Amino acid sequence: MDERSLIEGMARGDRAAFREFVEQYKKKVFFLALDMVGNAVDAEDISQEVFLKVFRSFATFRKDAKLGSWLYRVTYNASIDHLRRKQFVPEPVGDEVLESRSRDDNASLPHGGAADPAAAVESSQLQVRIARALDKVSPQEKAVFLLRHYDDLMLKDIAATLGLSIGSVKSYLFRAVRKLQKELGGSPLISGVEASHD
Amino acid sequence: MISCRIAKDRMIEALYGELGPSDKERFDGHLRSCPDCASEYSVLGATLRVMDQRERPDPGPAFWDGFWDRLSRRKVWEEAGEAPRTSLGARLVRALSGLPRWSYQAAGAAALLFVGILIGSRLIAPPAPVPTAAVSAPSGAIVQAENFAERSKILLLGLVNYDAATEDAYAFDLGRKKTMSRELAAEAPAIRGALNERGQKRLRDLVSDLEVIMMQIANLGSGQDVEGVELIKQGVDRRGIFLKIDLDRMGRDARGETKKKKT
Repeated sequence: MDERSLIEGMARGDRAAFREFVEQYKKKVFFLALDMVGNAVDAEDISQEVFLKVFRSFATFRKDAKLGSWLYRVTYNASIDHLRRKQFVPEPVGDEVLESRSRDDNASLPHGGAADPAAAVESSQLQVRIARALDKVSPQEKAVFLLRHYDDLMLKDIAATLGLSIGSVKSYLFRAVRKLQKELGGSPLISGVEASHD
Repeated sequence: MISCRIAKDRMIEALYGELGPSDKERFDGHLRSCPDCASEYSVLGATLRVMDQRERPDPGPAFWDGFWDRLSRRKVWEEAGEAPRTSLGARLVRALSGLPRWSYQAAGAAALLFVGILIGSRLIAPPAPVPTAAVSAPSGAIVQAENFAERSKILLLGLVNYDAATEDAYAFDLGRKKTMSRELAAEAPAIRGALNERGQKRLRDLVSDLEVIMMQIANLGSGQDVEGVELIKQGVDRRGIFLKIDLDRMGRDARGETKKKKT
């Protein structure tokens, strides 16, 4: 079902169209919420709220707007509301967690298998460092970064989705990338580039 | 030739390939003549390449397959006017999952200390002439709550000890567990409401915690929903549910409030 048929079906209150809409967008909504709040239980709760809100208030949707952008906006707002309600303070991932994850990864490796334990530990440590770096970015900066980097939205589309000017989107994104660079400074990939410019 | 200020302003667009051909040419020209901007550009580019390696944990096919069913069920609940109960559960989950790890440890330590002091004061202090009525059988609400907690505990033990990789899914019988959870979740509001006396807050909170978990179990998807079960196991573990049930029982044992099973 294309987007126009979906919109028309939902405007009529067609349950099949709503289901199709949920199936098409559930992963985008869930992952944006998960990236914003960092907890799968809350992310599913937010995703359900978003879809129910869309279902209830579809009449307010401007038919000439992009369905995906509107949905991102509703998800972003729901995630921000959630963080505000919770007065969310991200818990920093400590070195002991990092070490224990490395140990867990080592333990789960097949004995004598082809997997490279050193590479697995390195990869696991990198994931922890990335998560920790993202925690240092403000929710607004994070949302702009996630939409650009992982959902591949153009800057102007992010501006339209979040109701910001393009200048603000660029500014948020620049600050996000600078913060990430600062946090990931010790990563071999980045420190190699830094060293080559010293 | 553009200035460093303009180059910085266009850096993000350049990194994400959103500069038009002529702007890109001017930007590249500036980088060739400005080592500072060239350095910043390559370091930020390297940062984005590191971020490309980020892995997002996928909850798995069982989670996605059950997504529509869980959403439909919530819609039915809300339309039936049961939204406040769901919201309370969601609020509780949010409130509990937002607490820092040290708060659980501190709360656990404080609870243990409290129980220790209670037991100690009973053992060490001289027995006061307590009227029989003061240590009388617990109120009906407490008995109900105790019974509710014990039945929930049995159900949860079956759930957390289940290993999908090694055990028979048929014997696990998630369908029956969901039915029992639904019944327990339906009982919870009345029990919570009856625990309205001072000193019953902890028990009331425990019932609320269990109510949330029972609703989550009742809300699991069709089939075995292994991912959903895993999420619930993590929630039980994170909230220290078994510890709370045991602490509550120890506390009431110490105060002589538990049911007299053998008389």
